[in-house]
Amino acid sequence: MSVNLSCDFSDRHLDSSVSTSQRQLAITISVDGSLSVSNTPLNLCLVLDHSGSMGGQPLDTVKKAARDLIDQMSYKDYISIVGFDHRAKVVVENQTLINPESVKEKILYLKAGGGTNIDEGIKLALKELSKSMKSTISQALILTDGENEHGNNDLCLQFAQLAAAEYGITLHTLGFGDYWNQDILEKIADAGGGTMAYIESPDQASAEFQKILRRVQSVGLINAHLILKLAPNVRLAELKPIAQVTPETIELEPEKNLNTYIVRLGDLMLGNDRTIMLNLYINHNPDQIVAASTANTIHAVTAQIRYDDPQSKLEGLLSPEVTADLTLIKDFQPQINPQVQSSILALAKYRQTQLAETKLKQGDRTGAVTMLQSAAKTALQMGDQQAATVLQANATTLQSGTDLSEAERKQTRMVSKTILQIPTNQISTNQIPTE
Amino acid sequence: MIICPNCSHENPDGASYCDSCYTPLPVVTISTCPNCDSPVQSDASFCGNCGFNLKSASEHEKSMTEETDNTSSPEEVPLPAESPISTPEASPPDLSDDDLALVQELIEPHPLTQLQQIGAFLIHVQTNINLELPNNLQVIHIGKPNNMIPPDIDVSGFPDSDIVSRVHADIRFEGNAYYFEDSGSSNGTYINNSVLAAGNRHKLRSGDRISLGKGDRVSFVFQMSS
Repeated sequence: MSVNLSCDFSDRHLDSSVSTSQRQLAITISVDGSLSVSNTPLNLCLVLDHSGSMGGQPLDTVKKAARDLIDQMSYKDYISIVGFDHRAKVVVENQTLINPESVKEKILYLKAGGGTNIDEGIKLALKELSKSMKSTISQALILTDGENEHGNNDLCLQFAQLAAAEYGITLHTLGFGDYWNQDILEKIADAGGGTMAYIESPDQASAEFQKILRRVQSVGLINAHLILKLAPNVRLAELKPIAQVTPETIELEPEKNLNTYIVRLGDLMLGNDRTIMLNLYINHNPDQIVAASTANTIHAVTAQIRYDDPQSKLEGLLSPEVTADLTLIKDFQPQINPQVQSSILALAKYRQTQLAETKLKQGDRTGAVTMLQSAAKTALQMGDQQAATVLQANATTLQSGTDLSEAERKQTRMVSKTILQIPTNQISTNQIPTE
Repeated sequence: MIICPNCSHENPDGASYCDSCYTPLPVVTISTCPNCDSPVQSDASFCGNCGFNLKSASEHEKSMTEETDNTSSPEEVPLPAESPISTPEASPPDLSDDDLALVQELIEPHPLTQLQQIGAFLIHVQTNINLELPNNLQVIHIGKPNNMIPPDIDVSGFPDSDIVSRVHADIRFEGNAYYFEDSGSSNGTYINNSVLAAGNRHKLRSGDRISLGKGDRVSFVFQMSS
């Protein structure tokens, strides 16, 4: 397996007559491998909420979904199961799946009752996962249906960061029903390098579990970091300069070391490209342009990936370095790269929706409506009709003086973070009818 | 510094997308006025110092270069800069002759006074027509012909004017500043993409974008010359 990097600027030409220009750099990371599924053993921990509110059909469908998931796993894989209400306990100790039936039987013992304490659950999961960390792909699936009322959200986040950074464990979160906290589950998934799923109705539980399992099974390389070196006249934007845009939108925090920035990417999946977008400012002397064409090239950014290969048990491997160049030209005409443009739109959709939510929390309803409408317009521009429909519907609901329902809030978060439908890349000219 | 029209984030110079919400930002570059050599924004229509009509100058220049370039096809004469009078098409038939005359008077460029214009302009974005604000009025009514408050600026000739109310908005001139207020329109008024609530007034600055009704379909850019 090897890592491929490609870098594209939003516009690879710079206007030589202006001293500062802004450019977006999209870095696409893909894993080359002969297989579409990695055969490294998984080390999976299911962290299941069995609080009182899960009683009846919800818990039954979750149990069934967990049992279905186990049927899909290989006998070489490791499994552990942690159940939590306001306390957490180990239901299935970390073991290989030699006897799946006994594991499946133990799942049936889960009984609904008590409150919700997510961080206890995560803590115990990390303990179980740490028993089989060597040359496996360690992941936790955390399912909850409610607010973390008996736990501490900050603690959850610290555990997630610790798990990802120190142990290389990825955390995925699944929100069940409508009363979970999308802010904290998103933060856990983002910090833990995983994905967030929304199980709107119990019958979707199995499908969402399978979706995450497919993602987990396609993990080829782990503990990946993007290493960026910037030229002296290139700087990152001050506000949130690095974000992942595919497969889902995540704000990334770079670690700075002189002129080198390191961004944790976590798992690299086979057949599922990652796109990271950088927002850069480039300074240059306006009269710098010279006749020789080579002197007008700026080696703006050098990118490299550091990763671990669990299959060959090699750590700290480095991909070849890739340099992203910009060219200064005299008679500048914008030439927008359409792929980078769609990445920009994806991030714009996410940011605008986030701003709308912030405004709503501050009580600025009109501001939130306007921002949601911009987000809907952005979604239309990128051809994501489904997101546009949800965002516009929410704007209309707010405008009419009604508050958004819990389900609508979750839908909004999901459509802003992911692209539910493959963009058609058609610039839509649809207008909102006025009179 | 460029302030984002969508989220008010303060972006550094050179930004083409807002760092915060990734809204495309207006491109502002500085060039010099061909008449008086003072710095002007590249998207300006008039020089802020001497009032020189920059748009007509650049169009003139463009047609000049096109003429010299098109030596291979001499029969292809470049179109003259679009005549402003012909653009407000489909004037409603109920418009009185006086109104028409008023519209034309507002729209028609005054070549003799252009170099010494004092006051303010609205540039209709969709057709690029410049409207001079009458400087003898304290309140300028914007709307369409009606029998209550006759508009000083009649927009009924512009495309999509059906979304503009008959009594839509007022521009007030007070103490050397222009203020914009909505006078109870059906579809609202937007200044720089933000809604202008009824009862609020907005102090106009050069470059402000005013949209009558939703969807940015009847829009003006306000320009002031000293």
